[in-house]
Amino acid sequence: MSTTARRVLIGVAVAILGAFVALTFVLPRFQPHVFSGSVIQSNDKAPRVDLQASNGETVRIADFEGEVVVLYFGYTFCPDVCPTTLSKLSKAMDLLGEKAEDVQVIMVSVDPERDTPEALAEYVEYFHPDFMGITGELSAVDRVATLYGVYYEKEEGSAATGYLVNHTATVMVIDREGYLKLVLPFEGTAEQIAADIDYFLG
Amino acid sequence: MSRKVIIRSGIPIVIIIVAAMAFAVFEPIQVLPRIRLAPGYLMTAQSGESLTSEDVRGDIVLYNFGYTSCGDICDDMNQTMQGIQARLDEVDTGDTTVRFVTVSFDPESDTPEELQAYGARLGADGEQWAFATAEPDHLANVVKAGFEAWYEQRDDGSFSFDPAFILVDGWGVIRGEYRYQTRASDTDKILHHLDILGEEIRNAHGAAGLAYEAAHFFLCYP
Repeated sequence: MSTTARRVLIGVAVAILGAFVALTFVLPRFQPHVFSGSVIQSNDKAPRVDLQASNGETVRIADFEGEVVVLYFGYTFCPDVCPTTLSKLSKAMDLLGEKAEDVQVIMVSVDPERDTPEALAEYVEYFHPDFMGITGELSAVDRVATLYGVYYEKEEGSAATGYLVNHTATVMVIDREGYLKLVLPFEGTAEQIAADIDYFLG
Repeated sequence: MSRKVIIRSGIPIVIIIVAAMAFAVFEPIQVLPRIRLAPGYLMTAQSGESLTSEDVRGDIVLYNFGYTSCGDICDDMNQTMQGIQARLDEVDTGDTTVRFVTVSFDPESDTPEELQAYGARLGADGEQWAFATAEPDHLANVVKAGFEAWYEQRDDGSFSFDPAFILVDGWGVIRGEYRYQTRASDTDKILHHLDILGEEIRNAHGAAGLAYEAAHFFLCYP
């Protein structure tokens, strides 16, 4: 084999190896993040929240500027959907590790008649010690739920559970600047939730 | 002029020409902005049954607002709705259903029976076009705060209101807001936007989905 032919062959081999390395190791790093939920690009800050925590203090989204807020709507008598979502959110916090310190998960009660602030705090802290529960007058809850795209409706339950509350089971993610950025479906996994929150933590 | 100078100045020109040709051949992707989250609601429809924001999740919904004893302005707006309903076969939304919801802000007078009769007068297909209203406080949260469509009852019982059409996608996100005006055809504009939305939904997965996401971030809005 002539020297020129050998050089060409080596050149081709190096090019193939280079392309392989680029495609396998380098390119995936530049892939855009694919969200598991639906992205919102509003120019306005997230809808106002004016509800009470268990210590009686009024909670507003603006209080958490600098943190990522994860908002969920549920109630303490909720038999299935809420425990599932709160468990997933708790696992997502674990997956985020130290970064979770910059995340505040808040559950808004859609059953303010039965969910006292104390019962609510006890309920959410069962899933994660840093989770927060907020509630208020039904009219205030209705406004917040409506503006976050959440429907809720009382439904007949059993004698043991009392009435149930049907409600939208999405999870809302608000970025560090206070903009509502993402709506996650109920079906998302803890890993997907953690990855999406991580994106906004930067 | 030396050959080098000609080559150096020629390359950018060639790139611009090739880019312009690619732009013309492939056409840029257009997307409707994701304006904000549409409100969640619990209303009562003309059938007497409830209509909720969860019932229409997954469907594209065009909302308008009014009341049955409203007269000309509502007739004009409903003509637009009828026009869109009649020409829906011009747009391709794939498997996604397009629905219409007319929200009445007069729950006192607009009972399900009234709404039913009103829909029948308009020749509305009840399966596709719902007429609904809700309890006044919830209605204010939904229409005024959520859809940002203002209304107010006058002393004589009639309403002054913002004649709006709102387009919401299957994820519950507002994608279009149209204020009724007579200069241009709202019907044509909304149908065009339904077509853009349909194309995005049909291409929501894989590489095409990524291209559409990029279009959102580079604000390729019509």
